[in-house]
Amino acid sequence: MLNSFKRSAYQCTGSLVRSISNINNLDQKEELSNCLNALPSKAKVVICGGGVMGAAVAYHLSKRNWGGETVVIEKESVGAGSRWHSSGLVGAFKPTLAQVKIAQSSIQLLKELESRGRETGWKQCGSLLIARTRDRMTVYRRMKSQSVSWGIPCELVNPARCQEIWPLLNVDDILGGLWIPGDGVGDPYLFCMSLMKEAVANGVGVMENCSITAVHSKNGKVSGVETTQGPIECEYFVNCAGFWARQVGQLAKPQVKVPLLPCEHYYLHTKKIENLDSMTPVLRDPDGYIYLRERDGCILAGGFEPIAKPVYEEEIETSSQRCLSEDWDHFHVLLQELLKRVPSMNQAILHKLCNGLEAFSPDCKWIVGEAPEMFNYHVAAGMKTVGISAAGGVAEATVDEIVEGYTKYDMYELDISRFLGLHNNKRFLRDRVKEAPGIHYGLSYPFYEFETGRNLRLSPIYPTLRDKGAVFGQVMGYERPTWFEPVEKEAEKPRPFKIAHTKTFGKPHWFETVQREYWACREAIGLADYSSFTKIDLQSQGTEVVDLLQYLCSNNVDVPVGSIIHTGMQNERGGYENDCSLARISENHYMMIAPTIQQTRCKVWIRRHLPTNGSVTLSDVTSLYTAICILGPFTRNLLSELTDTDLSPSNFPFFTFKELDVGLANGVRAMNLTHTGELGYVLYIPNEFALHVYNRLTKEGEKYGITHVGYYAARSLRVEKFFAFWGQDLDTMTTPLECGRTWRVKFDKDIPFIGRDALLSQRERGIHRQYVQLLLTDHEHELDLWSWGGEPIYRDGNYCGQTTTTSYGFTFKKQVCLGFVQNLDKDGVPQKVTNDYVLSGHYEIDIAGIRYAAKVNLHSPHLPTKYPDKERDVYQATRRLHDPQQFLGRHYQP
Amino acid sequence: MNYTNVSLIVNGCLKLDRCLRKELCVSYSRWKTIKPWSAGIRCFRSYQYSRQGYSDDVNVIMSPEEVTNILRKVEFTQDISQDAVKYYENNQLEANNPIEDTRVEAKCKLTQGILFGVFDGHGGPECAQVVAKRAMSYIAASLLPPHIVKLLMNGSLNLSQILEMYNVKGEFVPELQQLYHESFQKYLAELSETHNKNCSIADRIESSLLRLDFDMSHEALSPFEGFGRFNERTLSVALSGAVACVAYVNGPNLHIANIGDCAAVLGQVTEDDEWCFTKITKDHSTANIQEIKRIWDEHPTMERNAIIRSNRLLGILAPLRSLGDFRLKWPVNVLKALSEVYQNVMPSNYHTPPYLTAKPEMFTHRLAPKDKFLIIGSDGLWDTMSPLKAVKLVGEHMKGKMVLNTQIPEKDMTLGDINDLLINRKKTLRNKPKDSNSATHLIRHAVGGIEDHISVARQLSLPLGSCSREVRDDITVTVIFFDSEYLRQCPA
Repeated sequence: MLNSFKRSAYQCTGSLVRSISNINNLDQKEELSNCLNALPSKAKVVICGGGVMGAAVAYHLSKRNWGGETVVIEKESVGAGSRWHSSGLVGAFKPTLAQVKIAQSSIQLLKELESRGRETGWKQCGSLLIARTRDRMTVYRRMKSQSVSWGIPCELVNPARCQEIWPLLNVDDILGGLWIPGDGVGDPYLFCMSLMKEAVANGVGVMENCSITAVHSKNGKVSGVETTQGPIECEYFVNCAGFWARQVGQLAKPQVKVPLLPCEHYYLHTKKIENLDSMTPVLRDPDGYIYLRERDGCILAGGFEPIAKPVYEEEIETSSQRCLSEDWDHFHVLLQELLKRVPSMNQAILHKLCNGLEAFSPDCKWIVGEAPEMFNYHVAAGMKTVGISAAGGVAEATVDEIVEGYTKYDMYELDISRFLGLHNNKRFLRDRVKEAPGIHYGLSYPFYEFETGRNLRLSPIYPTLRDKGAVFGQVMGYERPTWFEPVEKEAEKPRPFKIAHTKTFGKPHWFETVQREYWACREAIGLADYSSFTKIDLQSQGTEVVDLLQYLCSNNVDVPVGSIIHTGMQNERGGYENDCSLARISENHYMMIAPTIQQTRCKVWIRRHLPTNGSVTLSDVTSLYTAICILGPFTRNLLSELTDTDLSPSNFPFFTFKELDVGLANGVRAMNLTHTGELGYVLYIPNEFALHVYNRLTKEGEKYGITHVGYYAARSLRVEKFFAFWGQDLDTMTTPLECGRTWRVKFDKDIPFIGRDALLSQRERGIHRQYVQLLLTDHEHELDLWSWGGEPIYRDGNYCGQTTTTSYGFTFKKQVCLGFVQNLDKDGVPQKVTNDYVLSGHYEIDIAGIRYAAKVNLHSPHLPTKYPDKERDVYQATRRLHDPQQFLGRHYQP
Repeated sequence: MNYTNVSLIVNGCLKLDRCLRKELCVSYSRWKTIKPWSAGIRCFRSYQYSRQGYSDDVNVIMSPEEVTNILRKVEFTQDISQDAVKYYENNQLEANNPIEDTRVEAKCKLTQGILFGVFDGHGGPECAQVVAKRAMSYIAASLLPPHIVKLLMNGSLNLSQILEMYNVKGEFVPELQQLYHESFQKYLAELSETHNKNCSIADRIESSLLRLDFDMSHEALSPFEGFGRFNERTLSVALSGAVACVAYVNGPNLHIANIGDCAAVLGQVTEDDEWCFTKITKDHSTANIQEIKRIWDEHPTMERNAIIRSNRLLGILAPLRSLGDFRLKWPVNVLKALSEVYQNVMPSNYHTPPYLTAKPEMFTHRLAPKDKFLIIGSDGLWDTMSPLKAVKLVGEHMKGKMVLNTQIPEKDMTLGDINDLLINRKKTLRNKPKDSNSATHLIRHAVGGIEDHISVARQLSLPLGSCSREVRDDITVTVIFFDSEYLRQCPA
């Protein structure tokens, strides 16, 4: 079937290929007809940028009949960028679901336009990925197994077959490859022009030679745009300025931060090569950082070098300035790999080496979504050279967000709210962007860590932790200890900063270290630094803050002062916008603890719903407190030694809050929970007391065997206890009903919360996916490859879902996977999922092509322990009495 | 007794014998504050900067920029583009304070030749400076036909019309200028009469240098002979000495006059594109057995053991030929008269002078296209590196500069060729010269190389004079680059 499909694609593109014979056709450009002569005074949407991204957004808006109210503003002319400076590669395989969906949508759009006779240069020639190393081959095996979830046909191939697909290839050092027949190439310029023509035909106005000079806002919403050709009133603004998105962001009032910095990026064009098949597949050799494709009988090659060359000082104003003179020495790294991979290219004659600037974001991911600084200001930028793969899908998502208010799939990892102000610091960008392009072809090991832009946000106890052996991972710029290496007493101080690299798909080198820390938490005392958590204070004069939170949260927040409630903040569809703990400090004062990665995002969500009269104040106190968590059975004994407050369960029960004096310090906000399921406390300590409290804890804790523990140990605890985390398990598309948290949703509150209707109807209809815990029963953790998230789950041999987070369970002595299972019918349409359905199946998890049998859990398991925890059981019982129905049948999580 | 002169002479001895010098370091340090020589004659460089760290008793390692500043302070590049000579580069690094090396370059305007000289003084900088200044005009004049010499003599031609000096520093004090002018006029007069058309260029250069040496002796002795007293200025020139290496490039011909232990090394490229060298000069030192034999033959056999002692001439002078140093040339009676005023002037075992000659050894070489450059260096350079290393350094440096300046042609080149070019370039980039001046490049390597900043910085932070002199000598390097294209087309 695939072959016949390939043949038909060949037939339909054959005529196009023949018609383009002159290799310099890339210099040819046409002008877009029917452009505007003058700007309208009013429009609904203003799009900045007439590149492929802007064109795609205009096209999708026009498809929703918004064409007549949409204006595209282009500084130069539509499709102004050099046609020599693009590769046109279209690949469906991306690292995550959202990115895959986007790429698939783009491919769909390319095919659609082509079928309607619009030129896009689309050619389904397939793509071949080759591996030089075993780890790369593992990546391909993982991709092959994931392809089932994502619906991408692909095939693992041996070196001989690689050479068959790509005859010029040198396969001496190749271990194998992955052949993706559905991939292809397109021409960004043709694609852009075709989209724009369609858009113009559907009423979109295009204004060329016009620059944005300011974007104004009223009440935090976009109100209008100032241009060199006059002002326009508008409701929505879409920043599709691509390369210039950062500068355009700065024109907004207030400034919108789009963290991007340009790097040099190279495209090598050869002269005509005899007998080069026009359907030669795209070749990607990520271990050599390179790709090659056929273009008009020539080879077009390029790559993503491991150390890029950012452009920092020069301000680039026009498209022609984006084309720099070439630095052959810099390109040489790639040239050598190209010649090694395709030795016959030694005889190929150089036509052109093009050095174009491309903007990269600090994490080498696209930047999409509504800006946190201004409502209705949307960004679609940072396409990192693969604009053609991204444009169609990103535009569709952006238009969904504008027209419907939300996207079809969760876009958190691409959302612009994943950044903080620090990410937009130009010096930070300059450092970071050096390694960003390299990630594109880098090996996607678990827990990827960047080398640059480190040691940025540090907790007051950071130097001490570092000297105690902490190895750090970075999250939102915060250095968080991931594990603690054993350190000799006389070790040199200060100990050098160490980055937590994993760099394996099997049993990681930190296994024994994390195991030791895990058992300290379960049988002695562990001390962890939670300082990176987002901490927000919400308060009001009257009860406004309670009303606001009742409206935002699905749980009942009107609890006695001193209580802590764990609650989701749902969107209209019932999905999690945020998942947080709220401590009621006083009648009208809450402290919200949210995941680290929510720091920008949750504030935007709350601000969107804040009373306009300013009666509720929101203040981000993340930087004011150091959070030290002590976990383990003896934590109460330890803390009792340091405070005069009675810590007995009757006075300070589980899941409550107290302001304590600890050591000689005061004002420590102690919360009786640990976010891991272990007994313990999180102490939110005013920064200046942090070191004091820390010193007292470690000193007094010595006799209990207090041990520093890192993030991985805490993570292992919570995965084993079946705790879901936002951003890893929960997202904007997941409802509490799907993840066993119905008991935390209070449908009968006086104030109906956001998403209540959606959840009620879901309760009626039943859920279509269920969050489960799977324990791998025949997995040998020493030898087998580990699951790291994203593995497909099979039920009775049929694909039924994917894992989200995974860990080794040190108590179970098994791999533990959390994930969602679905009930897919023959056509792949999800059906209702019931407990019976979940529990009746036989489960397997596919790790890089090998399926491991798994035992399924719907509820948090009861872990055997040396130190049974009576108080907590009592506490749990009290809650059940208090709220019997909701608690039944769902795993324990207060 | 005049302290200045005592100091001068004592110091002169010290310079000649390092062991003695070490012991008397203290008295030497005083010398720095008393300058018997007109300060105007040369630029004294001040390195307060680098020595500051020591005077404050704080040991601060110089930054790479400071090191580079010191190394590049007097570097010089001159484009010539005349016949075989494309351009030359030179540089100096002092160990003595003031430096005792001198360099000079000049173009002979009428004879279409370029002169390059490197002079390494000892016993004070005076002789080297005087010789450097005057040698060029002596040689230039000797090369002229008699009728032009006459024009020069009667003033219808100016000296600047026959000789263009490059990178000139300082002037003689008027008194000396007058004296030297008179000597030169006398020389011109003799030249105009005795000029022999058949005389080769080498012979002329040789005789002109000998004449200069004779004039220096005469200028020092004439006041004594006339008035029975010495002129301190001319005497200090006569009692100090200088070895010299002078190259004269005329069309494709290279003539080198060598007196003493400077050396000229030709950098050549083999057919396999490797660097190799030809050392043109022979050192006039005790390592040269022919020189020793020559000296032995000039003196009675009984003196043999005394003439060369501890590898020095009469136990005093390391080079076996030099300009000046009349303590080893003048007759016994002159030195006796002198030693009445200045003690210790007379060397021991001084029986059958002259022991020393200024007669240059002449070398002539016809330049070929494979000859890429000529390095003339004082012994300060050759003490630290072999001729091959120096040639390789300059060769790679030259190639590096060439490769770095190559533009990759946009069109019609295969990717394989481009790759080869880039690999080549990477190789040269790896030892990418910090300094664009090849003489500076050589000196940087001589004091520690490009990798080891610390040792270079340490060397350069040493207080000039006694301390720095312990670890190195003054270094002077001139590198002359030849035009291979001209040499290829030059008729045989």
